[in-house]
Amino acid sequence: MISLNRVSKIYPVSKEVVVPAVRDVSLHVERGEFVVITGRSGSGKTTLLNLVAGLTRPTSGQVLLDNIEVWKLPDKEQSLLRNQKIGFVFQFASLLPTLTAVENVMLPKMFGGEQNQERVYERATQLLEQVGLADKFKSFPRQLSGGQQQRVVIARALMNEPELLLADEPTSDLDEATEHEIMELFRGIHTETGVTALLVTHSIDLASYGTRSIQMAEGEIVSP
Amino acid sequence: MQMIRLAIRNATGNSFRGWVVFFCAALMAGFVISSTLVIRGANTSLQLALERLGADIIVIPEGHEQRLESALLMGIPVHCWMPDTIKDQVAAVPGVVATSPQLYLSTLRGATCCSVPEMFLIAYEPETDFTLTPWLEKNLDGGLEVGEAVGGSLVYVPRDEGVLLVYGYALDLAGSLDPTGTGLDQSMFFTFDTAFEIARASVTEAVKVMDIPPRTISSVMVKVSTDANVEQVAAEIDAAIPGVTPLETNKLFKGQREQLLSLLNSVVALLGIIWLLAMALIAVVFSLVVNERRRHIGVMRALGARRTTVLKSLILEAVLLALAGGVTGIAVAILAIYLFRTLIVGLMGTPFLIPAPLGLAALGLGALALALAGVVVAALIPAVRISLQDPAISMRE
Repeated sequence: MISLNRVSKIYPVSKEVVVPAVRDVSLHVERGEFVVITGRSGSGKTTLLNLVAGLTRPTSGQVLLDNIEVWKLPDKEQSLLRNQKIGFVFQFASLLPTLTAVENVMLPKMFGGEQNQERVYERATQLLEQVGLADKFKSFPRQLSGGQQQRVVIARALMNEPELLLADEPTSDLDEATEHEIMELFRGIHTETGVTALLVTHSIDLASYGTRSIQMAEGEIVSP
Repeated sequence: MQMIRLAIRNATGNSFRGWVVFFCAALMAGFVISSTLVIRGANTSLQLALERLGADIIVIPEGHEQRLESALLMGIPVHCWMPDTIKDQVAAVPGVVATSPQLYLSTLRGATCCSVPEMFLIAYEPETDFTLTPWLEKNLDGGLEVGEAVGGSLVYVPRDEGVLLVYGYALDLAGSLDPTGTGLDQSMFFTFDTAFEIARASVTEAVKVMDIPPRTISSVMVKVSTDANVEQVAAEIDAAIPGVTPLETNKLFKGQREQLLSLLNSVVALLGIIWLLAMALIAVVFSLVVNERRRHIGVMRALGARRTTVLKSLILEAVLLALAGGVTGIAVAILAIYLFRTLIVGLMGTPFLIPAPLGLAALGLGALALALAGVVVAALIPAVRISLQDPAISMRE
């Protein structure tokens, strides 16, 4: 499903100074896998995830999603691919603060051009119930705890029934108990839907939730 | 969940920034509509007043030029007399094709007929008149009888009296002229015979006699041949007839016109400054908004929003704020002009005509479109910049 062939990403800091975030990485992820990528802060995990999602252009190498080179697509098709195939869970508070929980969950359908608002609302409420937030539909992000916000984000990520779920440090701001609740939720979703998942975390303890784990350091895959 | 709802939520999400854009749009639209209404209205008033006069030259007794302009513009009555033989002398000047005398009179001070302390009354000679008669023939199927008058748009018959009482003489209001915005709207027109009837009645019916010196007139309206030069004819009248001043009507209200031009220049300069400042402020506000929402815009892109979708949502937000601010600014400006019209006329020294509702609506839409364009242009640069950024860059701290 995902193929990265000798991918590098270098960020220019100034004319003379550059920061290589990902160096010559090759990775292949099969459909249905749950891959956990671990590594210290600054090891290039988030950049790798962004490269897979087509959120940043590789400096060199090739990123293929179902044999499609994302960065060769025009913006319209690239956006459609992200909208239809990929679900995102971010490290930071990524809910739009001016929208309620249910409206946030409905967003991917809006960007996909779905017109049937009733059906969209119904699906969004179902997902919120699924992640245990049946009584929080109308709550704004500021009225939710960190764990509840991440559950809304997960519901949003599942809105378009994606083939690929990408999660960037989804538990970094949560306490230990909530962290494991969220990871269990991920595992449950993976088992139930068979979605391909790529989860990035700095915590080696969480590697066991995946079907495979990879470790990164200084922009390179160091194991396995 | 629709784009419009997202834009409304974002527009109202940060009240301070929303208010800044709202206020700028209100200022832009309000200033455009108020200055256009006053300057365009004043220009229209002057133009309509000249058309109403319908003569190329007005000959009046020397020394009354300023007072005649005040009478025509502000409706302040002028009393001036010259021998009626002047009419024939003027008619004899080469290039003159028609002449018609007029009498300038006024009502008693504080008369019940009138909305002004003293109403300006103009008597014309039906046999020779070429200024009012075409309008009468078109609108009243003929001339005025003795005892009839036509009034400016602001002249009305008091409900409890049923007639217009002028010096105790009952006048029938046969028709009303279209508004000009000038003093002519508060003036009344009737024939010489009616004027003499009023003067006769005033001896027994009024507290004060209406005095019309025998064999006198106040002015001579002059029509010049199409192949003659108006300026030259006026110069010839001036040279041939002592004690009178020939006023070329196209040069009337010269002071007011110059004042309007200078006001227009100042307004355009001020408008430019206000627009630049407002647009700069809106651009800064939208840069702040975009910077603050950088991460969320990155998230939107990650969820499948196209570059154009991001751009549209930001522009829609700007449009909503501009519409709300623009409509408010226009409404406040129009209300202020209605409420403070007298004060503005007093300050400018020139009356102005407020257009009919349809014209007002068209001006309002124009002002709104300009404010909208200003806000959108100001918001466009930060909106385009963020929409072109890599989503991953947008989401970085």
